[in-house]
Amino acid sequence: MFTLEYVKTIGGGRKIRPYDIAFSADGKYYVLNHATGFGAGRFTVCNFEEDIIAELPDNAGDGTFAQPVAIAFDRNERMFVLDEAKHRVTILDKNAEFLGEWGTQGSGDGEMDRPAALRFDGNDDCYVSDQMNHRVQKFTKDGDYLLQWGDFGDGDGQFNMPWGLNLDSQGCVYVADWRNDRIQKFTPDGEFMASFGESGRGDGQLDRPSCVAVDREGYVYVGDWGNERVQVLDPDGGFVTKLRGQATLSVWASRFIDSNPDEKRTREASNLYPDLPPELSSPFHVSSQTEPHFFGITSLHVDDEDRLFVVDSRRQRFQIYQKRPGR
Amino acid sequence: MSEDIALMAHLMRRAGFGASRGELEAYAAQGYEATVEWLLHPGDPGDFGEDLAKRRAIGFDEGGAAFELWMVRMIHSNNPLEEKMALFLHGLFPVIYMSQGRALLNQLDSFRRYAFGSFRDLLVALSSDPAMLLFLNNNDNHRDAMNENYGRELVELFSMGVGNYTEKDVKECARAFTGWTLGNADYMAVRAGKNSFDPYGSIAWHYEYRPEDHDTGVKTFLGETGEFDGEDICDIIARQPSSARFICTRLFQFFAADTVDEGGRRTIDEMVETYYSSGYETRSVLRTLFNSDYFKSEQARYARVKGPVELVINAVRMTGASPEPTAGSAGANGATGPMGQAVYRPPSVEGWHEGKEWIESGALMERVNFVAKLFRDPSKQGVRDIVDRIAGSNGGVYSPEETVDMCLDLIGPVRASEETRSYLVEFASTGGDVDLRGDDRGESEARVGEILALITATPEYQFA
Repeated sequence: MFTLEYVKTIGGGRKIRPYDIAFSADGKYYVLNHATGFGAGRFTVCNFEEDIIAELPDNAGDGTFAQPVAIAFDRNERMFVLDEAKHRVTILDKNAEFLGEWGTQGSGDGEMDRPAALRFDGNDDCYVSDQMNHRVQKFTKDGDYLLQWGDFGDGDGQFNMPWGLNLDSQGCVYVADWRNDRIQKFTPDGEFMASFGESGRGDGQLDRPSCVAVDREGYVYVGDWGNERVQVLDPDGGFVTKLRGQATLSVWASRFIDSNPDEKRTREASNLYPDLPPELSSPFHVSSQTEPHFFGITSLHVDDEDRLFVVDSRRQRFQIYQKRPGR
Repeated sequence: MSEDIALMAHLMRRAGFGASRGELEAYAAQGYEATVEWLLHPGDPGDFGEDLAKRRAIGFDEGGAAFELWMVRMIHSNNPLEEKMALFLHGLFPVIYMSQGRALLNQLDSFRRYAFGSFRDLLVALSSDPAMLLFLNNNDNHRDAMNENYGRELVELFSMGVGNYTEKDVKECARAFTGWTLGNADYMAVRAGKNSFDPYGSIAWHYEYRPEDHDTGVKTFLGETGEFDGEDICDIIARQPSSARFICTRLFQFFAADTVDEGGRRTIDEMVETYYSSGYETRSVLRTLFNSDYFKSEQARYARVKGPVELVINAVRMTGASPEPTAGSAGANGATGPMGQAVYRPPSVEGWHEGKEWIESGALMERVNFVAKLFRDPSKQGVRDIVDRIAGSNGGVYSPEETVDMCLDLIGPVRASEETRSYLVEFASTGGDVDLRGDDRGESEARVGEILALITATPEYQFA
């Protein structure tokens, strides 16, 4: 088996308001911010060492993004940004210069209604979770419709407001079937393969999963949004382990704290893991008052070095964990 | 309309936020006392879209918009009395929004947990509630530097009332609550002073007991002597006849009638008796009230002015005007403020002055405009249901008198005076009979909507 070792936290100090991340070939992190201001542009380009390389502006063609929720690179490192509220994909270069866009609101083939996630496969085609149409659609990178599957329901292959999706090394598609509290696995053409999870707070149970990632060995990482945790499942869906989050001060956060001695002094005297009364025992309540915990996970990634990136949207940061062999 | 429906409508206006005719029929079928028991034992609040609200608007529950989430819950919850009790307790133990919505939503969770249990336990929970501790400065109440603000309000406004304690009791009460404080007060104060959300976003105040800051000395409170702490004080307060009468009277005025008459006094006496026999349990006290002859009598009906929150939530529920509950979608929180009741913005620690003060002229216009706009729109599901019931009741063609009577029935029922009814009929008569036959009935539906809207402007509609 393996362990997931906490590595570090990136974020804080209002530098980023992340919702999703994409990774460029030269190792930079392109952070899609759900909100801008206080120093954060729409995209923050940074690296593992927490150097801010660039702040890139909104450039959605007809103005600003309304509710951008996903970012992904194609093989030519063009940046694809999915806007849930504008029901479309915007294509930018790595400097956020506008290159094009596609997508329109609707329920017909190739149309979208509040799309929630976008990921590319190895052929540079992309999959989009089409939230309010309760389906997944596949497009070429130019926006040509290829195929779709799913409709509203809770049977195999049906969805209830799907959110995140991701692909494994075989091109199989994993979908966070949000209001059905499960992850569904499909062939690249949308044939149902498996379903993982059920409603609840126990091990292997899920509460409104928001996102999913798969590592090279086929282990499945689930952003268990309502339970404010990451669960790791084996390739057959069996429970392996869970993470609750253990953020420490990032470089940016440390700089902020060090430059505000009044906050530093009072923070050090403050309990960041408070005991809470019974009515505040839900994962949401605990995360809302326990700063190191995950709070509002919106995206997960596993990179080629077996590092897990957890986007902790309500804490303005992401946490990084390293997968290592072990018990 | 049957008496069963009228009585059930009365119960649901008071113990909830009103109900549609279909809901009233279902409640009437299960019986009055069974419905009271259902109200008194809240279960799963159901899916009222909190998950979607959080998904669509990250962090909205941290600021002033947080209260919209409560409004959405009031509209959609399967536990109407639980939310009504939360509203009652917010008015009874008011705190004012201090830049952090989360602390106040947490307080509501505490109210829901203790709303039907022991009044003593409710006071203990209130005394360790971070929003209350901060609002009434108990975090500044130290063993060596007492702050009696919370201690005073606990006995004056939150339980026994003026005349039932001495200044010495206030000081002894405050001594007992030394050490009941906030675990992160200094840090939160620094952050609040700079409006800082760094380094990692919002966190909320949390309660902490600090034994080293607690005055362990002997205290004499209301004639009893001991090394009392806060819980002991709540024990003693809960035993007091003045506390029993206080909480029972406030419950009576919130749920039964603004004014306490002779019959009301007898009902309160019965509630007080239940208070003691049940171990101060609010559920039992409410059961006594709702099952009392007084509550069910004609005299108690329409004996309360609807508070702005009750009015707005009732109208939104009745018209089905909040199909996708996300932050701001109901528009409810923004609406009640101009009517005089912005939640978590009470005028003072005494809460709102209720009764007829709710309908001073400016507020009345706000009330009428908000509600009339909803009922005027036949595309709203709740209005459609009313129109369909009228259309299906007797062939589909109705005189102005018949139309007005059915609208008065289905929107409440609202018990209109003859003068009001005449005015409504005169208005309805300008278009002749109302024809709801067939598919081409848009104009008649609009007329029904206008009659419903006009009913919401009547004096009678302002009463629950």
